[in-house]
Amino acid sequence: MLDLLAYDFIQRSLLAAAMVGGLCSVIGVFVVLRGLAFVGAGTSHAAFAGVALGYLMGWPPLLLAILFGLATVWITGWVEERGRMKLDVSIGILYTTTMALGILFIGLMKTYNAEVYGYLFGSVLSVTPEELRIIGALSVLVLSLLLLFAKELYFIAFDQEMAEASGVPARQMFFLLLTLVALTVVVSLKTVGAILVFAMILIPASTAYQLTHSLTTLTLYSAFFGITTSVSGVLISAIWDIPSGPAIVLLATVIFFTAVLFSPKRVRRTGAAHSH
Amino acid sequence: MSVEGTSESVSTGRTPIIRFDHASFGFPGLIALQEISLSIYDGEFVGVIGPNGSGKTTLCRAVLGLLPPVEGHLHIFDCACSELRCHHRAQIGYLPQKGVVDRNFPVTVLETVMMGRYGALGLLKRPGKKDRQIAMDALAQVDMESHKDTALGHLSGGQQQRVFIARALAQQPKVLILDEPTTGLDITMQHNVIELVQHLHDELKLTVLLITHDINMIRLKVDRLVLLKTRLYAAGPPTDVLKPEILHQVYGKELVITEKDLVIVEDYHHHH
Repeated sequence: MLDLLAYDFIQRSLLAAAMVGGLCSVIGVFVVLRGLAFVGAGTSHAAFAGVALGYLMGWPPLLLAILFGLATVWITGWVEERGRMKLDVSIGILYTTTMALGILFIGLMKTYNAEVYGYLFGSVLSVTPEELRIIGALSVLVLSLLLLFAKELYFIAFDQEMAEASGVPARQMFFLLLTLVALTVVVSLKTVGAILVFAMILIPASTAYQLTHSLTTLTLYSAFFGITTSVSGVLISAIWDIPSGPAIVLLATVIFFTAVLFSPKRVRRTGAAHSH
Repeated sequence: MSVEGTSESVSTGRTPIIRFDHASFGFPGLIALQEISLSIYDGEFVGVIGPNGSGKTTLCRAVLGLLPPVEGHLHIFDCACSELRCHHRAQIGYLPQKGVVDRNFPVTVLETVMMGRYGALGLLKRPGKKDRQIAMDALAQVDMESHKDTALGHLSGGQQQRVFIARALAQQPKVLILDEPTTGLDITMQHNVIELVQHLHDELKLTVLLITHDINMIRLKVDRLVLLKTRLYAAGPPTDVLKPEILHQVYGKELVITEKDLVIVEDYHHHH
């Protein structure tokens, strides 16, 4: 295993996995608490459609991924604010439409393009130094914004109307959160793939949710699970030569179910049931 | 407006902190509150009553600055509703209706109360020692400081209600708005919460707007009652508002007032 660590590409992919794992798991806390889990899924497919269009037209794929991702979250946010439609319905429509667009764009390509599939299923082992720099820069940007507005974002996750009523610019914060979700999804696209990025956002935060009742601890636990499962997943993937995305996600899932089994919340609930 | 006449004259000479002027709320074609003219004065304890769907929560959201009038005017702290800035909002403490907030949210009691400081602090500022002290003082006001590290979800309904009141107090508000604070609580808890609200009104000189279905519980505590049913039916001292002819218009003929001035449904009265 130590031999593996000597390779440049392994070092790069471990670093990319750690950053993506950390980023997804921290934003995941806000996504899970604000009830935006499905938005993550919708955004990742929209971003993938952007990538496909980029390859089709010869435009920069990441830029288009960002544009598609942002358009999706902003439309979602706008629809939710208007209260015209249930969030799961609007996201469901956008999700399938963008997926259809992605498939259409791939179908229009004259030749088979393996790189596009890399974005769908993730290929952390092929991360280039340039991609690593982009991941690094966007991670720093998203994490610093999260940190700067953490108190407002926690508050709107708890109750947006209460936050607005007590003088927090809640609507702006909601759109900031949506924007950061879109950026996170795009950053993670190459590493874990459009299909699995959703799991990276959802699972570490949900695992942490089982174990604590404090917001601060929740965030720290989530980041810990996110980073360790991503890094371990990449190592497993390199050692046993299995795809990295599934390795990371399945490892995270095992830890999630273990946490559910040993959750103090669960123990407490059964304890309370006995006492009555 | 004629219905408002009596209450206006009672409070002459004081400045209104909240002023509705022929204000209507809702959407075109679906008006939840129509032509409300009402002034609420500094330091008043006002109870808002009315049947389900009468616009009580709409009134509450309007005062919070969340719902500008579609017609007429609403002034809060001398500001038009649409011009209400964040620092104004921070001066209004709010206890939402039960069920609006996920009470199993992973958050401790102190973390919940600290959220009351966020609006007043403004963006990019982290809460410091002083904010923590204000939050602890607010917890002491509602007698919950020993639970500061407890998970919110582990508390009883009445205790959670106290924590949410403390959260509103941590804003150091001038106005406290409570939307059905006693719903879902047992009868002693209901009494405790109302006693607490009255204590806070007396002690902190807060202007209180209390929305409730329980007329009997509050009729001896409040300075004024506001009776709503899409329109403002009456506003004034409880004895002026709780008259059979007014109540019948809003609630129907079954409501009666007993010898001890309790408002009850007639059927119940006959059986006992």
